[in-house]
Amino acid sequence: MTLLTRFALRRLLAALLVLLVLSIAVYALFYVLPGDPARLACGPKCTADQVAQVRTQLGLDDPALAQYAHFLHGLFAGTDISTGVGTEHCGAPCLGFSYQNGEQVTSLLAQRLPATASLSLGAMALWLVIGVGTGVLSALRHGGITERLLTAVTLAGNAVPVFIIGILLMLLFVSVLGWLPFPSYVPLTEDPEQWAWNLVLPWLSLAILESAKYARLTRSSMLDTLSEDHVRTFRAYGVRERSVIGRHALRGALPPVIALTALDLGTMFGGAVLTESLFGIPGLGKSLVDSVRTEDLPVVVGLVLVTGFFVVLANAVADVLYAVADRRVVLA
Amino acid sequence: MSHLSVTPRRLAAAAVVLAITGGAAACGPEDSGAKAAGGKPAKGGTLYVLNQSPQEDFDPARLYTSGGGNVPGLVFRTLTTRNRENGADGSKVVPDLATDTGTPNKDATVWTYHLKDGLKYEDGSAITTADIKYGIERSFAAELSGGAPYLRDWLTGGKEYQGPYKDKGGLASIETPDAKTIVFHLNKPEGDFPLLATQTSFAPVPKAKDTGTKYENHPVSSGPYKVVANENDGEHLVLERNTHWDAKTDEERKAYPDRIDVRSGLDAAVINQRLSSGSGKDAAAVTTDTNLTAAELAKITGDKELAGRVGTGHFGYTDYISFNPKVKPFDDPKVRQAISYAVDRSTVVNALGGSSLAEPATTFLPAQESFGYTPYDAFPAGKSGDAAKAKELLKEAGYPKGLTVTLTHDSSGGDEQGPEVATALQDALKKAGITVKLEGLESSAYSEKIHGVKTEPGFFLAGWGADWPSGGPFLAPIFDGRQIVQDGYNFNNAQLDDPAVNKEIDEINKLTDLKAAAVRWGALDKKIGEQALTVPLVHPVYKRLYGKDVKNVVISDWTGVLDVAQVSVK
Repeated sequence: MTLLTRFALRRLLAALLVLLVLSIAVYALFYVLPGDPARLACGPKCTADQVAQVRTQLGLDDPALAQYAHFLHGLFAGTDISTGVGTEHCGAPCLGFSYQNGEQVTSLLAQRLPATASLSLGAMALWLVIGVGTGVLSALRHGGITERLLTAVTLAGNAVPVFIIGILLMLLFVSVLGWLPFPSYVPLTEDPEQWAWNLVLPWLSLAILESAKYARLTRSSMLDTLSEDHVRTFRAYGVRERSVIGRHALRGALPPVIALTALDLGTMFGGAVLTESLFGIPGLGKSLVDSVRTEDLPVVVGLVLVTGFFVVLANAVADVLYAVADRRVVLA
Repeated sequence: MSHLSVTPRRLAAAAVVLAITGGAAACGPEDSGAKAAGGKPAKGGTLYVLNQSPQEDFDPARLYTSGGGNVPGLVFRTLTTRNRENGADGSKVVPDLATDTGTPNKDATVWTYHLKDGLKYEDGSAITTADIKYGIERSFAAELSGGAPYLRDWLTGGKEYQGPYKDKGGLASIETPDAKTIVFHLNKPEGDFPLLATQTSFAPVPKAKDTGTKYENHPVSSGPYKVVANENDGEHLVLERNTHWDAKTDEERKAYPDRIDVRSGLDAAVINQRLSSGSGKDAAAVTTDTNLTAAELAKITGDKELAGRVGTGHFGYTDYISFNPKVKPFDDPKVRQAISYAVDRSTVVNALGGSSLAEPATTFLPAQESFGYTPYDAFPAGKSGDAAKAKELLKEAGYPKGLTVTLTHDSSGGDEQGPEVATALQDALKKAGITVKLEGLESSAYSEKIHGVKTEPGFFLAGWGADWPSGGPFLAPIFDGRQIVQDGYNFNNAQLDDPAVNKEIDEINKLTDLKAAAVRWGALDKKIGEQALTVPLVHPVYKRLYGKDVKNVVISDWTGVLDVAQVSVK
């Protein structure tokens, strides 16, 4: 077995364990918290009888443990549910059916994942370019006016809430200049060009918010690396400055940036709620807030698992990249 | 998860001023006059609808609509529907699939309808009364929960029936002697039945096409448009002409646009910004769920072109103070009267955004003839409260030095039952020697507390809107003693169980002459109002923007908002 496969296997097992614990935690939290999802699904004017029927229909009559067991069974073996006129099969991994609208959670997630992935990955690319670029420039112009200016600008970006940035960007680019359309999500598979145009503003809003952190981090770890002995040695040997910076100093400064990117990206999969609402992007974050509000447990569990999965995945990828960036790191 | 810390609602409030500034700036030089009102409406084009809430559960059994709803009314026709006219005319009920609004028997317990000729679904097949019966039966299924509860209470055997999936026998109280006739047997007289028959559960559903919980993805259309795309659970809906819909059978829906594109999941501030700047497709856009806030309205009023594109509507709704006379000191009518005299309605109006967004109310019924509005002011507080009279009453009640009470309200800012109104009342009552402590609760906790018989506080903010414009659904749930719900959501907050009131409600329900009934509802409202069980505060007013190219704007008093079935974009 190669080092990488062993690493991947170990990480996969750990990830499964994490996800299982997450699902137990969400289930436990759900049963501790007050509220009645059957009442919410039925509507405020439902009689007690109607609510009871809906409760039975949703399987909320069963003991909590049995419900969790049913969830696990669906996850590994799939399950069937009645549509009234017939039954609908939900193949493994089945995350169950939404209490609110009876749809399969897996299909709800599958509908929303592309929008969230488009938003997060695009924004990430942009904030890495802006953030790391600014950070490197600041480190090289250390102490100068450029550095102070860049610091001020990035910090300002970080200090303004994303919905203010978003509204201001819309004002400028849509209302005043008329260069861009009001963002309205178009799937990549439908029209790649429109997909990109409509996502420019959401990407930019998130990137402006996030890049300050990256600029600061890149700057300080660049400065650290530049002051290290091996860099001085390279310079003493007469290695060209461009190579010193690009190949050695930047490389040494990257590991903390990679670690932070992994965390931010994972979080963004379930947490870019404000950006999603502001720009009307039908993503996972908005659906998480809605399903928590309506106590739609299967959807909440599904979303937590998906978000958790991406956090774990992003961190595993980060660990591999770590080893690539810094040869002293060993995969374990 | 730092992005989660601010709710979208807060976001909307913060972004409002910025949004409208931008909109106005963009519109300035380009537009010289108001185009919206001018020009004749014509067929063609695409109407865009920009909304916050998605059309989830786009199934006639699961939709809870008033008068058939706005977007749902484009696809689902019902036995009767609302009259699609401006103002008070728009709160009348008119025939839709049926030839008239219904023929009652002598005591209004049996209602008979006949279908018009030439009614077809989107596939060209004929609409039959059996399909209407089946559509109603579906609304009883637990699988398809969410619709209005009335039929369960009104139809004979409705309480026990569990829908067509579990109970193949069907509901015996709905008879279909032939394909064009349908007869409803009720367990009590209901003169309002024609108004109930506007609800979406009265839309026909062909049994052979029923796919249960999946039906919402492609419901079979009986209206002028059919669903060609339903993405992300109703977040994006595309409707196109139903070529089998015949305008000759439908006097209500104008159906000018060829295509209707409903995009939801948008932020309120963004919707209003898009409507105001109206660039590109947004010129042909409207919203069916987003009101203008006070800040947005203030900005718009200064711009002539924008101000010409604001629709004003009145929907029958009352915001009020509710007392629970089972909690001391509100068991004493004098205390309730003192508070009624002390309220300052002008500060409440201001708290809700000023006189263009709220009108002071002294009656529980909305100020509309269809509800039976009969003006009265049982405890005249004038414009800004009568503190002297309140103090006098408190003294009589045994509180010469004033008293301290707790007012429960919703903690969401900008809400009609929110902190702004609560603090306005706090200030007014202070002048009368009443110290008000505020108990602000998060929306769902607030709602659960005030609607639970056992948890209900003594003094709280509440609001009520009826499912159709009539005194019945406005007064009965709030004041009928038999509607006190012990183990669920209770709306009779005063827990009033007065045999005389109950009897009068039954008597009025027997009337099939809606005008005569309205007069009696008005008199009943006045009679109950004298007991000071509530303090009516305001009736809200809706203001909504629409795009530059939008013509034929119709806003009825039934819905209070622009009717998408009447709009033209050409």
